[in-house]
Amino acid sequence: MSDTTRDIFGRYSGNKGELFNLALVTSLLTLVTLGIYRFWAKTRIRKYIWSSIDGDSDKFEYTGTGIEKLLGFLVAVVILAIYLGIIQMILFYFGLNLFSQPTTMAEAVAQTLAVYISFFAVVPLIFFAQYRARRYKLARTRWRGVRFGAEPAAWGYALRAIGHWLLTILTLGLLLPRQTFYLEKYMTDRSWYGTARFEQQGRWQELYPAMKHLFIGALIIVLAVVLVATTNSPGIGGVFFVVGYIWGMIGLVSYRVQSFTYLTGHKVLDGSISFRADPQTSTVVGHVLIGGLLVGLATGALLFVAGLIATAMMSPAALTGSAGAGLAAVALTAILYLAALVIASALSLVWITQPIIDHIVSSTAVENADALDAIHQRAMDSGADAEGFADALDVGGAI
Amino acid sequence: MTVAAGSYFDGQSAARHKVEVRIENDATLVLTGATLPQPQHWPLDRLRALADQPGVDGLTVTLFSEEGDESPREPARLTLRDGEMNARIRRLCPDLHRRDVSRGTWGRVIRYATLATAAVLLMLFVILPRMADTLADLIPVEKEIAFGKSITLQIERALGATDLGDLHCEGPEGQAALDKMLTRLTADQTLEYDLDVTVFDHPMLNAFAAPGGQVIIMRGLLDQASGPDTVAAVLAHEIGHVERRDPTRHALRTVGSAGLLSMVLGDFSGGTIAALLGEQLLRASYTREAEADADGFALDMLNAADIDSSGMAEFFEKLEKLEGGLPEVAAYFATHPASAARAQRARDNAARNDNATPALSPAEWQALKNICG
Repeated sequence: MSDTTRDIFGRYSGNKGELFNLALVTSLLTLVTLGIYRFWAKTRIRKYIWSSIDGDSDKFEYTGTGIEKLLGFLVAVVILAIYLGIIQMILFYFGLNLFSQPTTMAEAVAQTLAVYISFFAVVPLIFFAQYRARRYKLARTRWRGVRFGAEPAAWGYALRAIGHWLLTILTLGLLLPRQTFYLEKYMTDRSWYGTARFEQQGRWQELYPAMKHLFIGALIIVLAVVLVATTNSPGIGGVFFVVGYIWGMIGLVSYRVQSFTYLTGHKVLDGSISFRADPQTSTVVGHVLIGGLLVGLATGALLFVAGLIATAMMSPAALTGSAGAGLAAVALTAILYLAALVIASALSLVWITQPIIDHIVSSTAVENADALDAIHQRAMDSGADAEGFADALDVGGAI
Repeated sequence: MTVAAGSYFDGQSAARHKVEVRIENDATLVLTGATLPQPQHWPLDRLRALADQPGVDGLTVTLFSEEGDESPREPARLTLRDGEMNARIRRLCPDLHRRDVSRGTWGRVIRYATLATAAVLLMLFVILPRMADTLADLIPVEKEIAFGKSITLQIERALGATDLGDLHCEGPEGQAALDKMLTRLTADQTLEYDLDVTVFDHPMLNAFAAPGGQVIIMRGLLDQASGPDTVAAVLAHEIGHVERRDPTRHALRTVGSAGLLSMVLGDFSGGTIAALLGEQLLRASYTREAEADADGFALDMLNAADIDSSGMAEFFEKLEKLEGGLPEVAAYFATHPASAARAQRARDNAARNDNATPALSPAEWQALKNICG
């Protein structure tokens, strides 16, 4: 036993009913507290999902708290209120100075885009918030009693992310693998498990095979454009365009799954512990499509019922012409609508997010796991702003 | 005495300890194991279970501790999968599911929340409005005009125009009447902007001012106005906005505050309603003041031009009827002051002015009404 290396396989044990109930209760609480409970909602859902993941029967643990998220958010609000309010207004002012007398409708529309330069004030902050959010999540994750963690390097990340994005956009996506690889490497090389450091190995060029379906999708779209331009048959071109678009979307999922596989396979912890992952693109795409369909149908049905109830309430109000009854009907419609949204988000967590996490965890393994025993605890990280910036800027999804 | 097997992590190293666990005197959990340097004694009243765990079979516990780390908890963890032992622990531990909070946390929450609220209010009501005023004064007039043009174009497009000028009404006689009215209103005034008044062919009962001296009147206003004095009053009111640079200031202010509000309150559910209400309240409080000022400006202008401000009163009375007795609270959310009060103000003003003459002759008024052909 001691001279053969041992593997640990990931396992996911969360179930749909429990998570749905948790998501429903927490999002209803979020609703009635006008959004304040969201910090606790997120915390509780993470606790559930983290604890559903285990390796060798040892569960992961999420130790974040709702209160620290609320405090982080309040701090972020003060900083962002000052920064965004002032910067956005000044940028808008300079945007206005770019205006000249428009002579056509198209020109006028193009000019209004200048107004959106104020958006660029937010871009560096979004990347900053992304890194900080990942650092916070790592700092609040434990396995076998030992903390994960990341070094404070959010500004360095934001700077590199902007550079890589510019390169990717300028090369029409050709350098996407380079961006994916180096940004992941930047984060991985600064991540720790206890006293052990992660390292991202491999070469960015090896991510090109993962882009196969993205390329095919792009080719079909180019073909569609050529067809429309040369053959006078917009119908066929349109069909090609739709096919290319859908192919590209699935290609994007495929790229994310396969680049994850490659990057995970080339991560090393403490110089000796390695990882293996082989999630199937088809399974992930299946969860996205089937889950999406189920959630869409359920939400549609709910909204339909909500609409019926609202109409039934509205018509007597309209007949009597009473403003009070009208307002009540509007309020009821709004509440029903929000309730439908809440149920939809809980459903998508249960039918899309959780199955994908389940699949990815179950297809991941740790190699040479005995070396884990030598790893020791690391000091507590304050968690920086506890995702306050990410929350305020709406970066990152449900979990 | 029952003994259960468990996995123990000391919170110092990632190595797992296989332990045997028993309960002593219904008060202490004792952990022993070959790899443990010494037995651990965990008092049951300090035992805490991790919250929101999947399934019901397993139980992961830790110890309450003031120093703690992220939460007031010891870093060590013990996981037990023995149903009988877990049931006993659940029965014997009074505070197993208590969610402790470090001392002083709620004080911090209140302090931070107060500071954040103060900062946001300061931005929304003091700093951003001041900045908007300053920037609106700094912007060169020709840029303001270009910006205004692009706004009116967008509105034109939203109203259904497919090409530039589709909606413009340019009947020559109507235009002449409009020019005459404008000349009469502005005769003795020194204005900062060259006014550019256009009629749009649209049934909406409305008129608005865009940055840089542009005023748009909708055909609906001409159709429903009781006479030329009403149109003159509305025109004077919009000129008031133009002169105060209200459209430009409001555009700047909105850019600064909209993002801020949606950031503070915005998430997909409950926050969205709050954000919408907040934005409307804020906009209303900005604009109610501006509207009252523009009303005052219009009354002065009408008096100087010897036009009867009863026309203005009639317009507001019509608006009031359209609003149809909304409940009192709605007034706080409305961007314009209560119409009844505005009508009264115009009536009071009209009573003081005896030598008024109609803004246009009947023939000119007819020409203006037919400007859209």
